[in-house]
Amino acid sequence: MKKTYSFLKRYGVALLSSAFLSTALFAADEAPGVKGASDEEFIPAKEVLTIKYVDVGKPYHLDVETLHGFFNDAKGVTVPLQKQDKAFPNGGGSVNNAEVKAIHDGLTVYFKVSWSDPSKNARAIAVQEFRDAVALMFPLGAVEITPAEHFSPRMGDREKPTNLWHWKADWEADLLVKGELEDVEAQYPNMHDDFNLNPYSAYYHRELITSVEVLSGGRAANNLLSQPWRGRSVEDLNAEGFGTLTTQDHQDVNGCSKYDDGVWTVIFYRSLITNDPHDVQFVPGGTSYFNMAVWNGGEQDRNGQKNISIQWHPVTLERVAWQ
Amino acid sequence: MTLVHNWHLGRRMEYPYFESRPKHQFAAVFNINRCIACQTCTMACKSAWTYNKGQEYMWWNNVETKPYGGYPQSWDVKTLKLIDNGENTWYTDEKDEKLSPYGVYEGDTIFEAAAKKNINQWAVGYIPEDKEWRAPNFGEDVAKSNKPDEYSSLPEHSRWFFYIQRLCNHCTYPGCLAACPRKAIYKRKEDGIVLIDQKRCRGYRKCVEQCPYKKPMYRGLTRVSEKCIACYPRIEGRDPLTKGRPMETRCMAACVGQIRLQGFLDDNPKNPVTWLIKHDKLALPLYPQFGTEPNIYYIPPRWAPRSYLRQMFGPGVDEAIDKFMVPSRERLAVLSLFRMTQTIIFEYKIEEGPKVFETTIHGKKFELYNDTVIGLGEDGQEVVRTTVEEPVYIRDPKHYNSI
Ligand code: SF4
Ligand code: SF4
Repeated sequence: MKKTYSFLKRYGVALLSSAFLSTALFAADEAPGVKGASDEEFIPAKEVLTIKYVDVGKPYHLDVETLHGFFNDAKGVTVPLQKQDKAFPNGGGSVNNAEVKAIHDGLTVYFKVSWSDPSKNARAIAVQEFRDAVALMFPLGAVEITPAEHFSPRMGDREKPTNLWHWKADWEADLLVKGELEDVEAQYPNMHDDFNLNPYSAYYHRELITSVEVLSGGRAANNLLSQPWRGRSVEDLNAEGFGTLTTQDHQDVNGCSKYDDGVWTVIFYRSLITNDPHDVQFVPGGTSYFNMAVWNGGEQDRNGQKNISIQWHPVTLERVAWQ
Repeated sequence: MTLVHNWHLGRRMEYPYFESRPKHQFAAVFNINRCIACQTCTMACKSAWTYNKGQEYMWWNNVETKPYGGYPQSWDVKTLKLIDNGENTWYTDEKDEKLSPYGVYEGDTIFEAAAKKNINQWAVGYIPEDKEWRAPNFGEDVAKSNKPDEYSSLPEHSRWFFYIQRLCNHCTYPGCLAACPRKAIYKRKEDGIVLIDQKRCRGYRKCVEQCPYKKPMYRGLTRVSEKCIACYPRIEGRDPLTKGRPMETRCMAACVGQIRLQGFLDDNPKNPVTWLIKHDKLALPLYPQFGTEPNIYYIPPRWAPRSYLRQMFGPGVDEAIDKFMVPSRERLAVLSLFRMTQTIIFEYKIEEGPKVFETTIHGKKFELYNDTVIGLGEDGQEVVRTTVEEPVYIRDPKHYNSI
């Protein structure tokens, strides 16, 4: 542990500064259909989320059952959510708040988010089906957010990049499937197909599939949404304002979830420090901010149609026990 | 919103982006009068682009029967209802040859209806559910009676239906492109083809919702949406067959009924597609009132009720049908080019031939000249030559009984 911490101390700062410099990610456009934000959006919430130091050890299973006990002593914050009404398309409004708790063990940070949603939507295969999802967002680099220093709580801004962790209910469901992607048969059990991209199917035709890449659309284009074997339920992204959301080349975040009695509980986890300049970095004893959004698939929520928090929330990382 | 000019509507309209027309625009003319609904075009597309998993329900090209058919079911009626404000009329007293050739549309487009209804998105629309895509041939060949309470009697059965051949219109002001909050959809500057970037798409289905023609389709397997790509490798001349010259799409080239001619809409009056659409006004846009300035143009069917056709193709219907029934000398020559080659024709030339026939049609004099019409490719070289009268070949008597 001690060794890891000195590693953090030595390289953490350098990584933080390189993260801060890497702002030229996207060419963000001032999209038409975007209303200006009110000043209060630039004032962070008062309540601070303390990322409590807890010796998690090496949990045998990284699932909600195993992990949730570690959050017992962590103090949560309740984040109010509302309809997204600034950028087209507007939407959301069905989820009013979510509870967030966070812990770290000097190596890994865990965020637990729970919210109530009467319908579980964990698939997006039929054209009219949308998934439940939740995202955490962090400003990239060391920033101070004040009304004088505008940093949009809505996906960041040009030159103000953010790192987003987007958990998707259907990605979690994919993980339970052989081949790690729920196939079309999950939705349409009696369907027939001649040319199957699923290598476990009797109709898989490797030569055909690999010779005509274009036929597999998003898969050939390396769209992470289309890929089997993602091995995770959380997508690691960056954004610099509306419409700029971009999947990172390097995926570092994981998650697990549980849906019980109308309540989703999602735990995100990632190592405190990564060596990806596009990632937020967490230094014990340090501070940052987070913001979040929840999508209710049952209400056709997706993209800007979501339940959002319109304020940044400060976070502090407790020092590790030996600090 | 910015104001852009939509010549189908004869006026400016609101659109989220500036007017930016391509160098020349992918376009086609379909002669509805000749279609036999053989679906060869549909299968040509299917076997080229959508035979893979998750694409089973996708028919980027489909041929449906009007008035009852529709893929997805009732797509047009549903969208027409969304823009209906009770005053979706056309002002046709004044026309400008270039800016408002059909007059001025006074109703709402899909963009204007959304702004009026304050729904905080760019266009009105809806997502057809999977069951609505399930039966692409629903209503095929079902006729509508003009006198529903009576049996038809001779000499004339007053029943009608017609086929409508549909693919993405590669619109000038695409609803799909406007709808996409990520700008994952783009319109190519070189040929106006509208594409969904398969890497940027996140399967939000805003395009599925806001394309009034319902041509973007969600693929459950890849969790992102796909649409007609206008066979762009062929359009770019990458098929060896046409030796680097732009080549028509699969659905056009396969057309058995010879109803299709594809090319690019440009400013050249001797471009056959431009001539038919802009100069002769024989071919009309499909549901121009949606406001996307679609680029597949139709020669309306002679036999269907005019009010129905006017709703579908706008106020240019009567003139177009009159012209089609008694075609002029040049029109006949240009129509002879349909399906004579799959190399895209950029310009035509006519060499005059002798008069071979004359008659009167609906009281109007009609003369048939056997002119020769020559199609030139992008490089100005001759790519096809044909005559108005189809050549007749008479079998040598010694082969009468041979196969
Ligand atoms: S027909 Fe639909 S999919 Fe095609 S360009 Fe127009 S709006 Fe987009
Ligand atoms: S191939 Fe031609 S004739 Fe046959 S259905 Fe298609 S458009 Fe009609």
